[in-house]
Amino acid sequence: MTQKYTRREFIKLSGLTAAAAAVLTGCGPASRYVVRRPYTDMPEYQQTGLSTYFATTCRECPAGCGLIVRTHEGRAIKVEGNPAHPVNRGKVCSRGLTAVQGLYNPDRITGPLQNGSEISWDQAVAQVSEALKADPQGVAFFLGLAPDHLFDLVSELTAALGAPPPVRYGAYGMFDARRTLTEAAKLTFGVPSMPFFDLGESDFILSFGANFLETWVSPLAYARGLSQMRRGKNNARGRLVVIEPRQSVTSGTADLWLAPAPGTEALVAAALANLVAARLGLSLPDDLASVDPKEAAAAAGIAFEKLQEVAAGFASARAPLALPGGSALAHANGLAAARAVLVLNALVKNLGRPGGVFLTPADPAASSFADVQDLVARMNAGKIHTLFIHGVNPVFELPAALGFAAALKKVPQVVSFASFPDETAALSTLVLPDHTLLESWGYQRTLAGADREAYSAAQPVVVPLHNTRAAADVLLSAARQLPTLAAALPYADEVEFLQARLLPLLESRKGFYDAPEILTFWSQWLQYGGWWPQRAGLEAPIVAELYAAAAPLTPPAPLASGELHFYTYPTQLGDGSGANRPWLQETPDPMTTVMWNSWVEIHPETAAKLGIHDDDVVKIVSASGEIEAVAYLYPAIRPDTVAVPFGQGHSALGRYAEGRGANPAALLPLSVNESGDLSFGDTRVSVQPTGQRRPLSRMENRHGVYDHAE
Amino acid sequence: MAEVTEEKMKWGMAIDLDVCTGCNACVTACAMENNIPFTGEDESGYGRGLHWIRIQRYWHGDYPEIKPDYSPMLCQQCGNAPCEPVCPVFAAVHSEEEQINLQVYNRCIGTRYCANNCPYLSRVFNWFDYEIPEPMAYYLNPSVTVRRRGVMEKCTFCVQRIHAGQEQAKAEGRPVQDGDIVPACAQACPTDAIIFGDLSDPQSRVSQMARSQRSFRQLEELGTEPRVIYLKGGGQYGG
Repeated sequence: MTQKYTRREFIKLSGLTAAAAAVLTGCGPASRYVVRRPYTDMPEYQQTGLSTYFATTCRECPAGCGLIVRTHEGRAIKVEGNPAHPVNRGKVCSRGLTAVQGLYNPDRITGPLQNGSEISWDQAVAQVSEALKADPQGVAFFLGLAPDHLFDLVSELTAALGAPPPVRYGAYGMFDARRTLTEAAKLTFGVPSMPFFDLGESDFILSFGANFLETWVSPLAYARGLSQMRRGKNNARGRLVVIEPRQSVTSGTADLWLAPAPGTEALVAAALANLVAARLGLSLPDDLASVDPKEAAAAAGIAFEKLQEVAAGFASARAPLALPGGSALAHANGLAAARAVLVLNALVKNLGRPGGVFLTPADPAASSFADVQDLVARMNAGKIHTLFIHGVNPVFELPAALGFAAALKKVPQVVSFASFPDETAALSTLVLPDHTLLESWGYQRTLAGADREAYSAAQPVVVPLHNTRAAADVLLSAARQLPTLAAALPYADEVEFLQARLLPLLESRKGFYDAPEILTFWSQWLQYGGWWPQRAGLEAPIVAELYAAAAPLTPPAPLASGELHFYTYPTQLGDGSGANRPWLQETPDPMTTVMWNSWVEIHPETAAKLGIHDDDVVKIVSASGEIEAVAYLYPAIRPDTVAVPFGQGHSALGRYAEGRGANPAALLPLSVNESGDLSFGDTRVSVQPTGQRRPLSRMENRHGVYDHAE
Repeated sequence: MAEVTEEKMKWGMAIDLDVCTGCNACVTACAMENNIPFTGEDESGYGRGLHWIRIQRYWHGDYPEIKPDYSPMLCQQCGNAPCEPVCPVFAAVHSEEEQINLQVYNRCIGTRYCANNCPYLSRVFNWFDYEIPEPMAYYLNPSVTVRRRGVMEKCTFCVQRIHAGQEQAKAEGRPVQDGDIVPACAQACPTDAIIFGDLSDPQSRVSQMARSQRSFRQLEELGTEPRVIYLKGGGQYGG
């Protein structure tokens, strides 16, 4: 619904200044509310004609980067990075930059809806309260990877209610295979932690499909690390070697790119572990030692000499570092791959050393794909009467084969907290729009992107634009109407909950600022944009029983005739929620320079064999489904692999996203690896031309790609 | 307040291609700072996108030894700018104060001679008025003019930020220091590949980078005297 303003109304509106009041002084209960003030009663820091800057936290991905948002007379103008923040140090990516296009998106949901018709917030809260009164086993929460404070609140709520704990999953976690990584860390180090990799101090980075310049774990932190590594100490430029089947932005920047057949990354890692161990005179456990490096190289389709070269470089580097990326882990043998990569780090003894691997205090609370499958099974069995969904768009993000949309129909009450009319909100009975990130309170624990423990603060930088309400406040209001819950959740509102959760940080006295009580702490928390210790410091992993478990190291089955490996990867559109930001659409993809659409990357040789030309529409068929996309002859991909970017192909989410490109989730299988993560890397497809042509909009041809004569 | 003698600064930019990852954050940052409208799939396909900075990606080598070469391309703020003498209405002018090449939007009559004469293809033309539906226009930057149909535009080195930085320094009674003024692209750049500063100060970071043995200028042989300095990438260099 688009709001129309006359010029007069517009001036009136701009006069009502957004103010997260008392950012600097922070005294008194009024400071928790965002208030509108007229020009005659401006907060003292607001001067007409001058901009006001607020620190907050990005929620476009779960990394938890600190932002400074420039606001001018109550409107958010420009997102900038928070220079003091330990994750992004003043930097910001395309996704964060377009947060204002989310806030001011013309297609936002402007108020609570029941089956498409407007209701009041009192009615909405009464409905939620009603749902919480019913059988607690039938209440389910499906949350995205951000924000953390809501996950903490819902965890408290479900525990008090006796309901199953929230399921927490999303495309970012799926593409990073995060559960596999934390399981491998548990196998190798004894702690289920998301490790932090100190790229900046390293001088030889060996990445197995970790697209850390795009979306992997904490892209800005790792991009900064790469920059430091490249600039090097004493002018010694570090090297980056990337092993993945398709050249990404990360491998495009690499000094050496090796393209193994999808699914053989585990073998390549094991082969390199053998070669490195041999050079260093160390022994390996049986399962890794049984891998013959030459055979592994042959299976992967990589020259053995290249592996030797990489092993030599890795073994002799001052501070070598190996990264286990999602595309290497999202296979049936993913856990073995992750473990082999962590063993590579252990071999060169970089654990807990500058340029090495550290354990983070980040709570790996995210669920695995298997947990989502379990939720869907419960939905299909009619065991769930109310499903709450926040921060994730499962109908779009999860494999279509999972049948989430069909399972939603079996749930009598589906409550979506979506800010935008996404595919899942369209199938929900109750839509209770949350604020967007620039209107919200909250916190995010930084995810393995900082050299220290850090909590990042979120605060509203403008007055909520529409009749939206924080999901935490909705749940707290509903809980207050139930005597059992009211006692367990004694918070008046979201801010009181946040302050209660921050109290342990204040009491730990480990932060870089100190405060006698919570309100003073709160004002500094908001001013600095979070809490973190003065000095860097993370726990060093200890290899207690390095060679304890043995996961199978099986090579993938060979391709059948006419079959190709299928590879999908996230772009600047992130988990797909970025598709409604017109400037994310108009920012070209770095590798193909394509704007506003999806494409399928096919090696020119393969395309010639299949009779496919640039801009031909092709049909891609997997065992799970099929999509149509436009061919892009991509010279930097294995000839036996095709790739489609993730994020487009929306059937909802507003004017900028709808009806554009294809969603590769339709092709993904439901197979999971040992850790319960989706092994989407094992997808195989066939590709056929359709006879149609549709030119892609590409920046690489500044003079356009359309025939002007037509 | 102490009087500060105003010295003219020669603004310049250095881009280190060895740390540029081609991520395009600069492109988005520029658009959000400078009120650049989005044009949509068809218009951008016709080459009418209004990117003031773009990442040129050229392939280098053959599979499997293939690698993209990225070069961020923006107005080079030429000392001897080919776009300037061809403008019949003096809309493409060299500013005395900042010594950069500016476009005066309300003079521009849309002959597009300047874009035709720009060897860097860094000028973009508003072929239409591009609609920004309400309330999306709320985020428009009040420090930057919103352009209309028929007007040429291009990178200004974020001249509004240069002025804001100068005013801030003046108000504090001190000269502008290196790093005070950062254009939107350099501010966002995740790897700090883009460095902005005063080329007349030999100690500034940008001057130091300009003296690097890796430095070169784009299409230098045309005699345009670009104010943007590139540092060769690929790791194949000494020093």
